[in-house]
Amino acid sequence: MPPVDRRRIRGPDESHSPYHFVTEESMKCLASGDRRVDVSQRGPLDLRPIFARCGLISQAKGSAYIEAGNSKIICSVYGPRETERKDETDMKSGRLVTDMRFAPFACRKRGAWVQGNEEKDLSQGLLESLRPGVCLHKYPRSQIDVCVMVLESDGPALSHAVTCASLALADAGIEMYDLVLGCTVRHTGTTQLLDPTFAEVQDDQSGASVDSQGTVTLSLMPNMNQVSGLQSDGVMEQESIKAAVQACIEGCFKLYPAIQHTILKTVRKKAPPPES
Amino acid sequence: MATVQISEAEKLYVVHGVRDDLRVDGRGCEDYRHTEIETDVVSNTDGSAKVTLGHTNVLVGIKAEIGKPKPMLPDEGYLEFFVDCSANATPEFEGRGGEGLGIELSNTLYKVFSNKQSVDLKSLCISPGEHCWVLYVDVLLLQCDGNLFDAISVAIKAALFNTKIPKVRIAEEEDGGKEIELSDDPYDCVRVNVENVPCIVTLCKIGHRHVVDATLQEKACSVASLLISVTHKGLVTCVRKLGGGSLDPESIFEMTETGKRVGKALHAPLMELLQKEESLGSKRQKVGFLG
Repeated sequence: MPPVDRRRIRGPDESHSPYHFVTEESMKCLASGDRRVDVSQRGPLDLRPIFARCGLISQAKGSAYIEAGNSKIICSVYGPRETERKDETDMKSGRLVTDMRFAPFACRKRGAWVQGNEEKDLSQGLLESLRPGVCLHKYPRSQIDVCVMVLESDGPALSHAVTCASLALADAGIEMYDLVLGCTVRHTGTTQLLDPTFAEVQDDQSGASVDSQGTVTLSLMPNMNQVSGLQSDGVMEQESIKAAVQACIEGCFKLYPAIQHTILKTVRKKAPPPES
Repeated sequence: MATVQISEAEKLYVVHGVRDDLRVDGRGCEDYRHTEIETDVVSNTDGSAKVTLGHTNVLVGIKAEIGKPKPMLPDEGYLEFFVDCSANATPEFEGRGGEGLGIELSNTLYKVFSNKQSVDLKSLCISPGEHCWVLYVDVLLLQCDGNLFDAISVAIKAALFNTKIPKVRIAEEEDGGKEIELSDDPYDCVRVNVENVPCIVTLCKIGHRHVVDATLQEKACSVASLLISVTHKGLVTCVRKLGGGSLDPESIFEMTETGKRVGKALHAPLMELLQKEESLGSKRQKVGFLG
């Protein structure tokens, strides 16, 4: 039984969104020629244009906000601060605690405020992706809290959350080996779509019996060329996974200049160069 | 996860051994430990299986109950996974200690089975939109010595093979209500087709090579592992990177290839074994838990 939230008044359990009763035609993933169906008219291996800013939340040590298409994700970093539990491993290196939540209005279907299993799974994925990038040995007996809140999700949110969390960690001045960037690829039959939207990920429900379709999310540290997180869904051939991983890596490299530019801008704003 | 403390010298020993394709217990990098599988161990369930992989001991019980199908998928049944890390395995799991690990294991199982091909969910439908079979797959970890995912996936496949779902009929009553009728014959049942159920292979990266079926000691020497779930046709349903380290893209490609090869080779002997066990029927000697 999922945990019951007694503090907030929820609607009746049986309520449904009217969209469930609309029969949607299965959308072809590529509309005409080479362009994708969504508004941006981008090619299959193009990322959505990113808007990223740091330093929004004044209370937090570091924070970042990312918008990619309709996806809006905000992240705040608190720490390093003292850990509650002190066991042996904490003496030598710090601890990274990640928490990823969806606002109830973020997805098509209204979610609950209490953290469900999927959110715990995504928090774990976020931790695995960020952990190799942060120099935790420089913060013994401390804990760094990374809190990601997805305000609106249009497509798999984990990859953008990883990027957002890296930006927030950089804004907080936490020492890192490298930025960790995330990218998702949706693989259907032979087509690969980089940075898919929600509609592009859902098109398998129509029952079109495509043998190989799935989504691959990858987190990469670009300068070190190390993969820090990998998750895949759906049924795929092993060669398709290899191709999808390569496409994700290229996507991360494409994303890197924009994120670097955001960080430079933030640094310049925080510590403007001395006027000579 | 239940971990062992390991010294630097031991780590070096393990890493050097793996480099030469020789592990601490004499296995090669792609060899599994001695595995024992037994089905139909718990009589109150509709299907059950117990798997012993080295010292890792996993018990799976499946109960089929009639429930309401999900609103978006009215003509399909579904599976619910729950993994319980028993305090028998290690005192760390006492109380709520094992909850984190249990949730991580169940979430991964949901991901592995979240596609249309693994289990034919349409065959679990009784009447669309109203009744369907819900298979509650409950996994109990009795002993923990590394490689939990592999043991759990083999146990789930064996338990699903063993599952006997009673045949039901929806009968229309005079006043328009529907009633569920169970067949009188207790042996009249529907079996689940487990051909496409995937098996999970966990590969741990130790030094520059990777090993299959790592013990706790070997896990302590590795920085990262890759979990890959493979069907008998060689299709991959789920890939996950576990652990706090990072992997080279080349390592990932190598590991997925090894995982696919090893995983594909697991299915044929497993099905053969399960069918052989079933064919023994009532003459089979039950080993149970202390064999």
